[in-house]
Formats: sequence, structure tokens, C-alpha cells
Amino acid sequence: MAEQKKPKRKPGVCVPWEEKVKELKEIRADKELVQKVWEDIDGLGYVYIWQCLLSF
Amino acid sequence: MAKDMQQLYAERLKRYVTAMRNEKPDKIPIRPFVAEFTAKYAGFTCQQVTHDYEMAFVAARKCAADFDWDAIVANMVYVWTGLTQAIGTKYYGVPGIDVPPDTGFQYLEPPEEEAFMKPNEYDALIEDPTGFLFNIWLPRISADVNAMGEQTSYRNNLSFLKGGMAMLNYFNAFGTQVDLMRTESGTVSAISGILKSPFDIIADKLRGYLGLVTDLFERPDKVLAACEALMPHLLHVALSGADPDKNVPIGFWMHRGCVPFISQKHFDNFNWPTLKPIIEEIWRHGHQVLFYAEGSWDAHLDAFAELPDQAIVYHVDMGDIFEVHKVIGDKFCISGGIPNYLLSTGTPGEVRDYCKKVIDGVAGDGGYIMDASAIIQNDAKVENIKAMTDFTREYGVY
Repeated sequence: MAEQKKPKRKPGVCVPWEEKVKELKEIRADKELVQKVWEDIDGLGYVYIWQCLLSF
Repeated sequence: MAKDMQQLYAERLKRYVTAMRNEKPDKIPIRPFVAEFTAKYAGFTCQQVTHDYEMAFVAARKCAADFDWDAIVANMVYVWTGLTQAIGTKYYGVPGIDVPPDTGFQYLEPPEEEAFMKPNEYDALIEDPTGFLFNIWLPRISADVNAMGEQTSYRNNLSFLKGGMAMLNYFNAFGTQVDLMRTESGTVSAISGILKSPFDIIADKLRGYLGLVTDLFERPDKVLAACEALMPHLLHVALSGADPDKNVPIGFWMHRGCVPFISQKHFDNFNWPTLKPIIEEIWRHGHQVLFYAEGSWDAHLDAFAELPDQAIVYHVDMGDIFEVHKVIGDKFCISGGIPNYLLSTGTPGEVRDYCKKVIDGVAGDGGYIMDASAIIQNDAKVENIKAMTDFTREYGVY
């Protein structure tokens, strides 16, 4: 799979953190926490649409 | 959990896993893919187990408790139509609404001209599969979701809210179901996670079968590029649902990507090159894949033999199980092969005879799991399922 072209939107991601963080004011503390929670919940959106396609 | 139940579970897990590694367990494991049969056995209708997943869970656990089975799928009536109705999904025939209450749910493929993806939309899918699914595909397959640019609506908003909450609710309930199977009857949950091939999913849910086979001739480069674009996503979904203990395989549901639905050349040039790397990558992560070879995939056994030893478990539906064993039996565990028509219309004696024939032919060195050919629906006779189970327990001892 290494030779596959990298997708525009990575697997597991709907709205990348890099895109979201630009909308936020300065994060004063614990940026990693904010990023992790964003990515965890964003991943649920990914699960939703791909499970709609594959399982339902 | 009672100690004897713990022990029973451990014995069954060991038996099932040993066979799946193509080795010889103490006995032939029994892992029937029981779907609507569970409803019939538990006294429910297809409508009840399809539309209320708790009833489906109860029916599966009742079967698990009453039959001496090593493993089952936690809910083989996998489409919960309560969820699909909340989303507004158009492509299901729902028992009790679109089809009689005692008929299993149906998948309705739209006519070619109404396919959920148009022939000129490959580039959009290739560029951004996730965006395509949300923005283009979902509004077409849902009666409630508005297309991009359309005025939004109350029903649109509710589709996402209810659909998302219902899906979480359903998936979370599987944790409890698997625990109850283990503690109530010592039954192993047979698979974990889902995989479909990029090629199949284009036919199933995007272009339709007729659209895809037309595209293979009119825009083959686009088809291949679309398969390649789907690959990392299908791999990701498969791995994210895989068994963290690496005991049970990822379920891989194989549909129409084989001869005679497509030519050997198209299999070799489209389906297999975009599927094989996914299987190999999953195996590199330490997970097996269960090939549910629906129909007959006998034309492609040599291709499957290219995969690493033990990487897959190969389930035989309408293929020739003896030929399958001859070609790939030294590399992979095989399951299934007991014809569904026999379970539906035959006698217990005929079922026992057929089980003996299969066991004698393919199970001598281990690496075989007893099951029907296809998923077992409500046409199967209870006495025949019992015959398959009891005979295997009596005769299938190493």
C-alpha cells in the first residue's frame, strides 16, 4: 500500500485539525488536548459516512 | 462468569482459532452464519429482528445457548432498518413495509440511469472519496438529506442527528451482546470489523453493477483510479474494527467482482490489484480476513493462493469445496460448503451424509470450520441445522 497516492483527505478524517486550528484564536494551553478531542470526534463523522457505505 | 462457562469459552476460542490458522484442533469448530434462522428459531418474524436489534440479539443468543456452536456472528441480520429509516436510506426493502414481514430485508439496486453515482463523477470520487460520499452520494441515497446548494430542511438535520446517535447506540450495543454471548453460553463472537473490495463497492453502492461493467469498457482508467482512491479508506475502516486481540478475522463480504459477472481479465486488472494489497497490509498488522466468497469464486483460487499462508479464512458458498481444498487448502482454513437448499428442503439424514462427505474430503488435517454455504435464513429447517451440528460434534473429532 506504500506506493498508493496519498488521498486529499486522509482516512479517518473529515475536517483536518490543520484546517480547524486556523479558525481558532490562540490556544493558550494544552494544544494537544484540543487537537486530540477534535480528531477523536471528527473521526466519528468519518465512521458514520463510511459505515453507511459499507455496512448499511 | 461461572468457571465452567469460562472454560467452555476458552476451549471454543482455542478450537476456532486453531482451525482458522489452518491447524488441527481437538474437534471441527462449528460457526454457522445464522441470520434470519435465528428469528425462526426464537419465534420472531424477520420484521422483528430486522427492525429491533435487541430482538435480533436475543434471538442470536437463544440459538447460541441452545445449539452447541463454537462461534456465531453477534448479529448476522446486520442491517438494522430502524437506523436506515432514521437516515432515510432508500435502497432497502424493509420487512413488514416493502416486503412481507417474514421475508428477509432486500437490497434494491436502482436502474442504471438512476445510479447513485453518475459516469462523469469519477474524478470527484477519486479526488476526495469522503467528501464525495457526504456531499454527493448521501443526498442521493437518503430521502431526507438535501443536496449541496439546496435549501436545508428539518428532515435533513434530523437525518444526521438521529442517524449518528442511532449508529453509535447500535455499535455500542454490540459490546454488551458479545459479553452476553460469552458469559451466558460460552460462545465466541466470530468476526470483528468489515471489509469490502473497492471494485465491489463501486458496483454495490455507487455505479451499480450495470454501470460498472459499462465503465470497464468506456472509462477503464477512471475505474482503476477510483478503486485505488478507495483502497486506503477501506483498509482504514477494516483495521479500525479489527479484533484488538487478533484472534478473530475481519469479515470480507465478496459480491460480484468475479467471473462470470466480470471477465478474468477484468478481475486480474481491476479487482485483484486493488484488493490484494489491502489483504496483505491487514495481514502485516496481524489480522486474518475471512473471505465470504458468496457465489463461486473458483475461477480466482490461483490468485488467492498468492496471499501469505494463514492470511485468510476462505468460506465456500457455491464453489466446489473439494477443488478449493485442493488448490488453497494447504495455505488457508476453509469453511462452509453445506448447501443451503439441503438445509431447507432436505432431510436430517441427507444433511448428515453431506456433512460426512465434506468432512471426509476437506477436514482430515484440520483447517476446516463447519457451516452452511451461504448465510442461513428462515427457510432452513430446525431439524436440519440440528443434524448439521450434532453430526459434526459426533464425527468431527480428531
